[in-house]
Amino acid sequence: MGHQFVLIISATIFCIGTAGFLIRRNPLIMLMSVELMLNSVNFLLIGYSSFLKTLDGQIFALIIMTVAAAEVVVGLAIILTIFRTRHDLNVDHINALKG
Amino acid sequence: MFEITYEAVVFILGITAVLAAFGVILCASPIYCALYLIGNMICLAMLYLLYNAEFIAAVQIIVYAGAVMILFLFIIALLGGAKEIVEPSVQRSSAFTFVFLLFGELLLAAGVGPTKSISGNLEPDVIAAIGSAKVVGVELFSRHLVPFELASILLLIATVGIICLAKFSYLPARKQSK
Repeated sequence: MGHQFVLIISATIFCIGTAGFLIRRNPLIMLMSVELMLNSVNFLLIGYSSFLKTLDGQIFALIIMTVAAAEVVVGLAIILTIFRTRHDLNVDHINALKG
Repeated sequence: MFEITYEAVVFILGITAVLAAFGVILCASPIYCALYLIGNMICLAMLYLLYNAEFIAAVQIIVYAGAVMILFLFIIALLGGAKEIVEPSVQRSSAFTFVFLLFGELLLAAGVGPTKSISGNLEPDVIAAIGSAKVVGVELFSRHLVPFELASILLLIATVGIICLAKFSYLPARKQSK
């Protein structure tokens, strides 16, 4: 299975993630869509690292996983803080910086 | 008869990952979205195994499908997994237009294919002989030491940020704004 397959699968998952981020209004599902996009890029990096017979892609994927873990933790804490003060989970209703 | 080949396994795992990704954005309840996302990550971890990245596959299972998704499930259980009613709007249709344009551009780029020639010498049997974790570790601590240290600083900053968010949000919002 060649390069084209990796590229097409990765592009499809990335576009699904983008669509999910744009059409869903629940911040938890929006964060999950961001995870989908990060995962698709990881898959592309690892596939190409295997094709080019180097390890740079794998190291890059490891760094991306670190960034994703930090991003998820901070994002979930922010969602939790907003929910504590507003009791609402729709990002369309959160339109002011001051609670 | 039907024969299991490497290509067939890679193809089926890729298609399953795409279907699970559709499940993430199409389910109404967040808890099902999280379960579909776990399925997607496990499929991708199996694909990493097939692409000779055993260490990254293990990290994907432990960190992503384990720690991160358990955190998601705890937060969903804490906030209540309310179903979401979506109604069509102008924003949604423009979002679909944007996504389809993006997908078309990416497919065009995929048609061009790779432009870089094969530069490394790490054949699959070489990686298997040394061990995937050892290869990644040697590479990480020699040529990529600075990104590794920066990642540790990033995790430290995230930890401090979490503590700040969790500590100060105990104050009621009204009293704070006076």
